[in-house]
Amino acid sequence: MRRTALAVVAAAVVAVPLLSTDYGVYLANTLLVSGVLAIGLDILLGLAGQFAFAHIAFFGIGVYATGLLTNRFSLTFPLPLLVGATLATGVALLIAIPALRLRQVYLALTTYAFAAVAQWVFHSWDAVTSGANGLRMSPTVLFRWHLIDDRDAYPLLVVIGLVMVGARALLENSRLGLAMKAVHESEPVALASGIDARRTKIVAFGISGCYAGIAGGMLPLFTSYIHPDTLGLETLVGILTMVVVGGLGSTWGVLAGVVVMGLLPELLRDLQVLRELVYGAVLMLAVMFMPRGIAGLAHRSAS
Amino acid sequence: MGLLAQALASGVVTGAIYALIALSLVIVYKSTDVINFAGGDVLMASCYVALLALISAGLPYWASALAAVGAAAVIGAGFDRLVLERIGRSVRGQDVLVAMVTATIGLSYVLKGAVRLLSVSSEVRSLPSQFLGPPIILGSVILLRQDIGILATAAITGAALFAFYRFTRLGRGMRAVAEDPRAAALIGIPIVRMRMLSWAVACAVAAVAGLLVAPKILMTPDMGIIVILAFAAAVIGGFTNFPGVVIGGLLLGIIENLVACTSRRKRSRWRRSSSSWWC
Amino acid sequence: MRRLIGAIVALWLVCDIGSARAWPVGDPHGPYADPGISDNEIVIGLFGPESGPLRNFGFDPMGAAQMWYEMVNKAGGIWGRKIRLVIEDDKCDPTTLNGVARKLVTVDKVFLLNGGSCTPAAVSAQEYVTREKVPFVMLNAAGDNALFPPTRYVFGAFGGTQFTVGGTLFDFVAKQLHVKTAAYFGNDDDFGSANLAAAKFMAEKRGVKLVAIERVPTNIVDVTAPMLRIRQANPDVVVVTSYPQPATLAMQKMSEFAFSMPIVFAVQSVPNPAGLVKNVGNLAAFKDFYYGSPLNDLTDGPRQRWVLKMYKEQFPDRTPTAFMSYGLPSAQAITYALLMAGPNPTRESFIDAMSHLKFDTGVLAGPIEFGPDKRDGHNASIFIKFDGTNSERMPGVYVNEYRSEK
Repeated sequence: MRRTALAVVAAAVVAVPLLSTDYGVYLANTLLVSGVLAIGLDILLGLAGQFAFAHIAFFGIGVYATGLLTNRFSLTFPLPLLVGATLATGVALLIAIPALRLRQVYLALTTYAFAAVAQWVFHSWDAVTSGANGLRMSPTVLFRWHLIDDRDAYPLLVVIGLVMVGARALLENSRLGLAMKAVHESEPVALASGIDARRTKIVAFGISGCYAGIAGGMLPLFTSYIHPDTLGLETLVGILTMVVVGGLGSTWGVLAGVVVMGLLPELLRDLQVLRELVYGAVLMLAVMFMPRGIAGLAHRSAS
Repeated sequence: MGLLAQALASGVVTGAIYALIALSLVIVYKSTDVINFAGGDVLMASCYVALLALISAGLPYWASALAAVGAAAVIGAGFDRLVLERIGRSVRGQDVLVAMVTATIGLSYVLKGAVRLLSVSSEVRSLPSQFLGPPIILGSVILLRQDIGILATAAITGAALFAFYRFTRLGRGMRAVAEDPRAAALIGIPIVRMRMLSWAVACAVAAVAGLLVAPKILMTPDMGIIVILAFAAAVIGGFTNFPGVVIGGLLLGIIENLVACTSRRKRSRWRRSSSSWWC
Repeated sequence: MRRLIGAIVALWLVCDIGSARAWPVGDPHGPYADPGISDNEIVIGLFGPESGPLRNFGFDPMGAAQMWYEMVNKAGGIWGRKIRLVIEDDKCDPTTLNGVARKLVTVDKVFLLNGGSCTPAAVSAQEYVTREKVPFVMLNAAGDNALFPPTRYVFGAFGGTQFTVGGTLFDFVAKQLHVKTAAYFGNDDDFGSANLAAAKFMAEKRGVKLVAIERVPTNIVDVTAPMLRIRQANPDVVVVTSYPQPATLAMQKMSEFAFSMPIVFAVQSVPNPAGLVKNVGNLAAFKDFYYGSPLNDLTDGPRQRWVLKMYKEQFPDRTPTAFMSYGLPSAQAITYALLMAGPNPTRESFIDAMSHLKFDTGVLAGPIEFGPDKRDGHNASIFIKFDGTNSERMPGVYVNEYRSEK
């Protein structure tokens, strides 16, 4: 059964560039970026149980680092992304060390403040980010080729996406993943069974930041412009919604959440001014009636 | 010197408003463990209720204000009873916080979306100030009657809250539920009802803050972003301690105004980032 | 699990088919080189903020553009072709517009794009339309960053850039109010930076000294400090160019502090003068008050009446905002250029026609004028004296002489 599912997904992935319009490919690209972002957020939220809001800042670091390295030094493709991801991971670890001393509500609020400060930096560091004018990003260089449009970027994004999903699957049953789950269930119990809870949480923060950084590095592959306003809470809320609606802790669920919530605006297209209202209502109803998200529904209908 | 004194006076007034909103957040947090991201939007929605009552229904100001506070209380109580209650029963363990916070974000979108449907929200509006008259001039400091009125109303609201929690049976019951729900249930306090009431009180306080601040900052469906500063005030004050939160609010207002008067660019940049932050 | 995946795939298909519901016109093997054009139809993608906080900047201008196209269709279309609009909502958000532009170009296969009410969103589409060689005519965005330096496929500033707004303000205060010093109150974003650049240039050129420059964020709640500093600088005139909300707060403060010098507001600072009076609540504050407008008259003045009449016929149950007629000129330009491009236009010949366009809109203060290296269409303002109840047009049309050094 899992095999059929994989086959269907594989067929869909191949079919997108063949059957869909450029717009469909563009949508698929944005879903791939959201997918990596959401899986990263879920590692922290669903796996390790830490409620933090800094994710969007790491994403921004990834975008700007990748974009600037390509702009200024025309570095060939995986390099800017790797540098961006490393930078994002480093900052995430630095933030994690003090932040994780705090209890849940303070962790949430402190990381929220950090994300605000990061957005302020993107907004104000004119010399580097070109501030409120937004940054134009030149096309990605892949050795001798320039990746110009959405179709060029799609295969690369799929490969990165698959690697990230694979890494998440490996984490699931690894020692580290189990430790994270234990910390999530109950920190005292985890400590009693010899797990270094603090270290586990810091590592979870780092991995999550790395995912966000990589997602940030994926964006310049198919977009040419980033504005700091789009690196705000609204975007983060969008990702959080995908994770919660999909089902915390379940990779398949989260990916389903990404597709459903990512395509919902397409379905709400004609609602105009009602859109905000409907989006909010969907969000509330989802947490009320699908406590384990889409993953929970699928589980229930399977058993 | 004149600049400094003026900044201090203005700071205390804005600080008092931040403190009220922060109190609303803290009441919610203490009674239900939820960070209420819709706090600012409840404030916004209740201001529009007052505006509608004033201009469409033609009610006098006091009745409109009452309607706004009542509407906020109903929104709060209803949200707790219909949404949070259900989530609390169906979601397990630590994920409750995530689910409930997501629900408050949903509420914030719903309120903003609903207000945008009103034709009055299509342009910047304001509520009339109830404290008119020429400003009082003390040396180089100009004190507006409006500001004095805001300060007095905020103080009275704060004192009333304090008295309610301290001296009434209901208030003490709500406090008991916030401190230790299990023990409170054992001695027969109806937890569900107390939580609902806490949400109602918190949202009513936010509405009062909204009525005070609306003549000053003007109304748009996005005015709820002011909640960001209230979050900061609540954190400075410790998030669970009422007097601490009040001090936090006042401090924040004063610091904000002092910084604004001493450095030109920095504050506006900081404020911009914090404000464009909340959608 | 299988059901879940099935459901997702089904949803995907629904969306893809849903978004493709507008069948492409134009036979790829037919006589037309570009999509979006057939023997009896030409497809235009119209977009702007239909939802979100900035809805008011775009919703009515989109309506105005719509009614112009409708009118052209009723008159028989252009070279026998009717205009068909595909309308999308960009929420004034750069990311959303990225998607919208791609959808319009590749799914709906439009011939050209007409839209955008906010600069960052318009800038974000520039690279894409240049790459795909699709004409992009902005609706009413200021668009400075997308127009300087000029690029082949992007046209804009119907109503004027922020250079125009900032520059004309100081042309006006120098020539009409004869001031020597001025205070400036504006936005702290890119929009405000462009405005200030032109304002500084024209102030210097006309011999006005800027004694205080205060820039604030859009969501500021307390303008006491900047207004105190302006009071200390004691200028001959206060020029306000911020968005409506901070501008209203500034006006309230000036009223509280009983400022006696003239006050001049930029067009974006006062969408509704009567509303401003209500929000300030003190008629005395308006004894020496002016505001700019890129239009050729008061919004209800005799030279604007034909637009209002047209609007009432098209949308009997809607009340136009002050921004309504701003949507007309870009649609006019597009239809004129399509006429000039001849019976078999291509995207390239349309661009060439746009590049030589010069006409009077009957709506704006100055003419619309493009050139081979000029992509900003309009560069003039009028000013209106407003005493709190009555508006009166000041004589003259004021121009901006600042061009970007970029």
